Amino acid sequence: MWVLPVFGLLIGIVLGSTLTFQIPLIYVKYMSIAVLASLDSVFGGIRSVLEERFDGTVLLSGFFTNALLAALLAYLGDRLGVDLYYAAVFAFGVRLFQNLAAIRHKLLLQYRSKKNRQLR
Amino acid sequence: MLKKQHWAIPITLVFLLMGILFSLQFQAQNRISSELSMQKTENLIAMVRDLSEKRQKLASEIVDLNGNLRTQMKSVQDESELFISLNEELTKIQTVTGANTLEGPGLEILIDKQMPILYVDIIHIVNELWASGAEAIAINDYRITQDTSIFYAENEQNMSITVDNNNLTYPIIIKAIGDPNNLDKGLTMPGGIMDNLSLYRAYPIISKVDLLTIKGRNRSFMYYFLNEYKPAEKPADTASPALKT
Repeated sequence: MWVLPVFGLLIGIVLGSTLTFQIPLIYVKYMSIAVLASLDSVFGGIRSVLEERFDGTVLLSGFFTNALLAALLAYLGDRLGVDLYYAAVFAFGVRLFQNLAAIRHKLLLQYRSKKNRQLR
Repeated sequence: MLKKQHWAIPITLVFLLMGILFSLQFQAQNRISSELSMQKTENLIAMVRDLSEKRQKLASEIVDLNGNLRTQMKSVQDESELFISLNEELTKIQTVTGANTLEGPGLEILIDKQMPILYVDIIHIVNELWASGAEAIAINDYRITQDTSIFYAENEQNMSITVDNNNLTYPIIIKAIGDPNNLDKGLTMPGGIMDNLSLYRAYPIISKVDLLTIKGRNRSFMYYFLNEYKPAEKPADTASPALKT
């Protein structure tokens, strides 16, 4: 069931490490915030799958726009002298942990209901 | 099952992109930790201190090595100067002993067989040439040096003049290196050797030459009894306190 996504993740990591393209060091900061945003999207996606209200379009659009907007906002914040970077870190971090908690809850519920079903 | 397929593809796609982003970010972060401009200030200060200490050490090493180089160069220079002066000394000594071939302006005196000339006249001519500043003299390519003897030898038929026991064949040519004018004047001054010889109707032909060559002598000096004199060393100082006691 989860074999395909995990396989995709592994392929992605291998692909990324074989890429010779290097991000300029000045943009590493914005890249990191983009990674955080995409991580949040991914966990959001997992959560929605577990909650059985998954929408592929929402996930993909969220993935790209969140990452891009987060990076853009952090960059803009640097230009304007406002540390929007931390705001993004905070927002996505909180959402990330919320998503994780929801996933945990959902998995626990599933596990328990399965157990109950078996017991009955 | 359909449901699964429905979400599996977008999730996989997102995971793939995540993987790429992750590894790129990992690499970038690794580079940051090795990049100088991203280091912490305290680390940079420590690094600067270390490097400047190293630099100071290396600078003092450079100074040391430069000093070494200078002394080495100086000793080499001294050696070459010594070599040059020794060579000059050798040339001087060779000139004095007649070991080398010399050249320079000078005078050539030609004496024919018809001229009634004795070995004494040759001696007079040579003496006069030395007196007028000749620096090197040769008679028929026999170089005149400190131990040259000019004499005569006779047999049944005739008498011949000898230089170092070598019979001179006519024409006798005396070569002298020196100021040609001075040498000429020394020989031809009134009452001089030429005047004397003319009394006997001997007229040696004197010609000034711009470039004469005089060959070195082919004999070597042999010494059997000579030793260089070395003043005896003064009695050691240890003797005087011994006298006092």
